[in-house]
Amino acid sequence: MSFSDAKRYYVERRIAERMVATAALSFASYFARLRMDLDGEVEHFVNAFTVNETYFYREDHQLRCLTTNLLAERVAAKGPSAAIRIWSVPCSTGEEPYSIAIWLLENWPLVDRHEIEIVASDIDTAVLEKAREGLFGKRALMRLPTEIVAKYFTPEGPDAWRILADLRDSVRFTQVNIVKPEETRPNGRFDVVFCRNVLIYFDDASRRIAAENLYENLEPGGFICLGHTESMSRISPLFEVRRFADAIVYRRPPGERHG
Amino acid sequence: MPLIRKSATPAAASPPDAAKVPDAANVLEALASGTEEERWEAARAAPGIPGAAKALADAAKRETSPGVREAMFTALTRIASPESVEQLVPLLRSDDAWLRTAALDSLRAMKSLVGPYVPNLLHDANSDVRLLACELAREQPGKESAALLCELLETEQEPNVCASAVEVLAEIGGPEALPVLARCEERFRGVSFLEFAIRITADRIRASSSPKPRA
Repeated sequence: MSFSDAKRYYVERRIAERMVATAALSFASYFARLRMDLDGEVEHFVNAFTVNETYFYREDHQLRCLTTNLLAERVAAKGPSAAIRIWSVPCSTGEEPYSIAIWLLENWPLVDRHEIEIVASDIDTAVLEKAREGLFGKRALMRLPTEIVAKYFTPEGPDAWRILADLRDSVRFTQVNIVKPEETRPNGRFDVVFCRNVLIYFDDASRRIAAENLYENLEPGGFICLGHTESMSRISPLFEVRRFADAIVYRRPPGERHG
Repeated sequence: MPLIRKSATPAAASPPDAAKVPDAANVLEALASGTEEERWEAARAAPGIPGAAKALADAAKRETSPGVREAMFTALTRIASPESVEQLVPLLRSDDAWLRTAALDSLRAMKSLVGPYVPNLLHDANSDVRLLACELAREQPGKESAALLCELLETEQEPNVCASAVEVLAEIGGPEALPVLARCEERFRGVSFLEFAIRITADRIRASSSPKPRA
């Protein structure tokens, strides 16, 4: 692998990600770990540079947690026929919100009893346009079972598949900068927010502002799922940690009277 | 195939409308005497309002809701001005540990604004303040901070403050810190946790500054 100067930012981001994942306090200590290949770090390091796109069913343990635990709690709190709102932010080119939709259809027995709204947001209008188009390559589908691909996608050419119109129509896309409350607030309150692998790239101040915005966008008792290297406890005390069998997630306390 | 439908209506409960321009007087009044919801809203709206830093710091001192207090400190961080630093620095001396920590976190996020305050804070009469100032030094440019921390270590009498400085030097210190660490270890002979911390730090600095063999 080789990277030009133009890719410097990309390289820095990947290294920063690995430093957080290994709890390295400095580049020097991370570099020492890499040189010694501690706990197979060389492989993790290489993967960090090759997995540069998202894909369907990424971190599917959180999707299991969604249908096993989170929605059950939300339904218990809201009632058996209440609408459920889920937010995927940032949604990039759509793999995450469409994954949520497919996962619910395949794995949540109550899917027909509830009005479900999935909102998918990103700051980048170009990726939002791609997400709306719903056209994906082989790599994006690599973790989906063949029968799921056959059920929800139609092939378009040798290495491209388009997600069914029913699913494309079931996700609402909006442009959002999550550090701007004037952009986050119009999206309303959600039962579950997926905000994975973005806060890690913010500075401390921006992380705190984003956390408060996301807090406001959650129903009291609603959940937020972060990326596996991220911890809300290090960013903001506004949320409770909830540990489930499949994932650690964060919850807006049900009784808070603000926000 | 079952269909996941788009909701035809907007979410019943929405967060407050951020597009509304906050009225400065109302925000300051709400910070001082509003309901919990009003205080949260005021804290979120405060950045950009003249005089907000002082009002936020005053309100944070008496705030009882942890969530609202957090929003007040985030607002002070967003303001990121000499005025907000001036309001936060005295809170490092608070008897309330939560206030001290919250002020520290906010100041750490305002690195360049805080830099000029660090030398004085490292010489503060209050050892708790000196200890927290070591954390602020961590965020400053490496060489300058290392020099300040070395200077502190030469005279500091409180082992906990020394430990805090040593911990930061483990990250940012160079070979010039080694003799200072040795003298500090000598002065605190018998204080086992500090001796241990100094040895680890010195080893780290030696390891990171010795020439690496080519692979």
